[in-house]
Amino acid sequence: MIEARGLTKRYGHRTAVDAIDFTVLPGRVTGFLGPNGAGKSTTMRMIVGLDRPTAGSVEVNGRPYHEHRAPLREVGVLVDAKAAHGGRSAYRHLLAIAATHGLGSARVREVIGLAGLDSVAGKRVGGFSLGMGQRLGIATALLGDPATVILDEPVNGLDPEGVRWVRTLMRGLAAEGRTVLLSSHLMSEMAQTADRLIVIGRGRILADGPIEDIIAGSTRSVTRVRARDADRLTATLAGPGVVVSALPDGALEVSGLTAEEVAIAAAAAGVVLHEVTAVSGSLEEAYIALTAGEVEYRSAGTAGTGTPGTTITGTGARR
Amino acid sequence: MTTIQKGTSAERTAENQRATFISPPHQLSFAGVLRSEFIKLTSLRSTVGLLLSIIVFGLGVSIILGLTMAEAGVPAEPSVGFMLDEVTIGTVLFGQLVAGVLGVLVICGEYSSGTIQSTLIAVPSRVRVLAAKTVVVFLAATSAALIAVIGSWAVTYPMYAAFGIEVGLTAPGVVFALLGAAVYVGLSAVLGLGIGTLLRSVAAGVATVLSVILLLPIVLSVLPASDLVRSLHLLSMSKAGDAMAGPADAGGGLLDLADGYISPGAGWLVAVLWVGVFIVLGAIRLRRRDA
Repeated sequence: MIEARGLTKRYGHRTAVDAIDFTVLPGRVTGFLGPNGAGKSTTMRMIVGLDRPTAGSVEVNGRPYHEHRAPLREVGVLVDAKAAHGGRSAYRHLLAIAATHGLGSARVREVIGLAGLDSVAGKRVGGFSLGMGQRLGIATALLGDPATVILDEPVNGLDPEGVRWVRTLMRGLAAEGRTVLLSSHLMSEMAQTADRLIVIGRGRILADGPIEDIIAGSTRSVTRVRARDADRLTATLAGPGVVVSALPDGALEVSGLTAEEVAIAAAAAGVVLHEVTAVSGSLEEAYIALTAGEVEYRSAGTAGTGTPGTTITGTGARR
Repeated sequence: MTTIQKGTSAERTAENQRATFISPPHQLSFAGVLRSEFIKLTSLRSTVGLLLSIIVFGLGVSIILGLTMAEAGVPAEPSVGFMLDEVTIGTVLFGQLVAGVLGVLVICGEYSSGTIQSTLIAVPSRVRVLAAKTVVVFLAATSAALIAVIGSWAVTYPMYAAFGIEVGLTAPGVVFALLGAAVYVGLSAVLGLGIGTLLRSVAAGVATVLSVILLLPIVLSVLPASDLVRSLHLLSMSKAGDAMAGPADAGGGLLDLADGYISPGAGWLVAVLWVGVFIVLGAIRLRRRDA
């Protein structure tokens, strides 16, 4: 359980995190989603006391992180994959961190096995690939068998097998009743791993809730329909609160009516339908809608909401 | 569809507390932090190499001096001062620089590699981390220097005996001076640790620790010799080291600025003061600034 109240971090005149409130609950995977520079890492660093908040507070499992008697048992953190000295072996690195809490080589070997690092445990970290560095970081985070796990961009640099491993691991930890918070700027990753989302942009929380609610709240649901006589269908469907627009490929996009209502109306009017599809928004669409104007570094031409084309393909894949 | 399924399964397990945990006796302790710092110090080639080089330099210089004693001039009778000079000069001269660099590396290596994040997440009370590092680096450097000076004394003893000027460990002031030489090297390491904690950069830290130990006395010695400059020179870190590794002058008192005399005891005080200032400044920076 992580609770932030009015959490703020300013660097000079720049506000990295702007008085945010959020609660991360146990038993589920909470995704911390936002563009680069949105304040995700800064927030995570403040949770474990690496950075001091300018204002506000954040508590982990009921008290500030530094007040815990066994911090590694409360929170396991991956903030930076390369948080180990290149000249030290992975085993010695883990052993040194474990020693602070009186944990010995038995536990170190356990997490090495868990992270799939057995073959390279005795090798110096300097020769590790980015993916192996991530695995070492995750092994470090799990050393104390923590009740809360915080991972900043854990799938960075991992191969597909590694990405799936992290996803399974996160879901497993949450299923054991632990609090899991992971940050990412990858929406596809979030869509597959997280139950809840906290969307952050320019240091402010843009959305906080179950992933389906965020998608529903930030995207529109429409019905796509193809008819032999599109004009007659358009006239049939016309009514208060119903908007029918023609798509370039000849299909119609109907908002204000469900797929079922469209089909019933068409049948009553004797219009032959070729296709009726309920189209709901994707996480990607929701994210772009939410963070429009909140992205710190943006390339020209990618701003604003998604085009209708991306909406349909994105959703098609999800259904 | 998949997200909806995930939502329900999460709700089902939400009431469960964590299923597994490590048994409660495992918690953060200062002894654990000390052990952690010892593992870190001994698991890097660079830091182990620096420690060994203190021993190699210390022994090497003493042996060379012992072997070339005949040409350099041999005192007529056993002299504690002569013996201590020859036996400690290598350890003190090289050891102070090597230990200073070691102290810088112990903390700045963590900043440059990012290890400091893992360290501070495991041990959120930062002063405790610095205290453990201080103890470990001091004991390691002092031990290496102690091996170097005692070893130097033992190895060169027969060489002195050949001229009939051997000095035993039981001669007045010898053990205290050898211990002083070793402790001075340990304090130099802590000086480096304090400077490194303050500056957080290997390059800046090494440059500063070498300046304080090596450059400051040189600069002071070439300045016009006013009373102030002479007093400052006498109170420099390396002068304190020389005093700690030497014998006491009979009736010389503790410290005589006018006469330019600093006793071993005053050397200890001056060195501890230098180290104390930098380690306290480092601790303040470590506590106040973001990691």
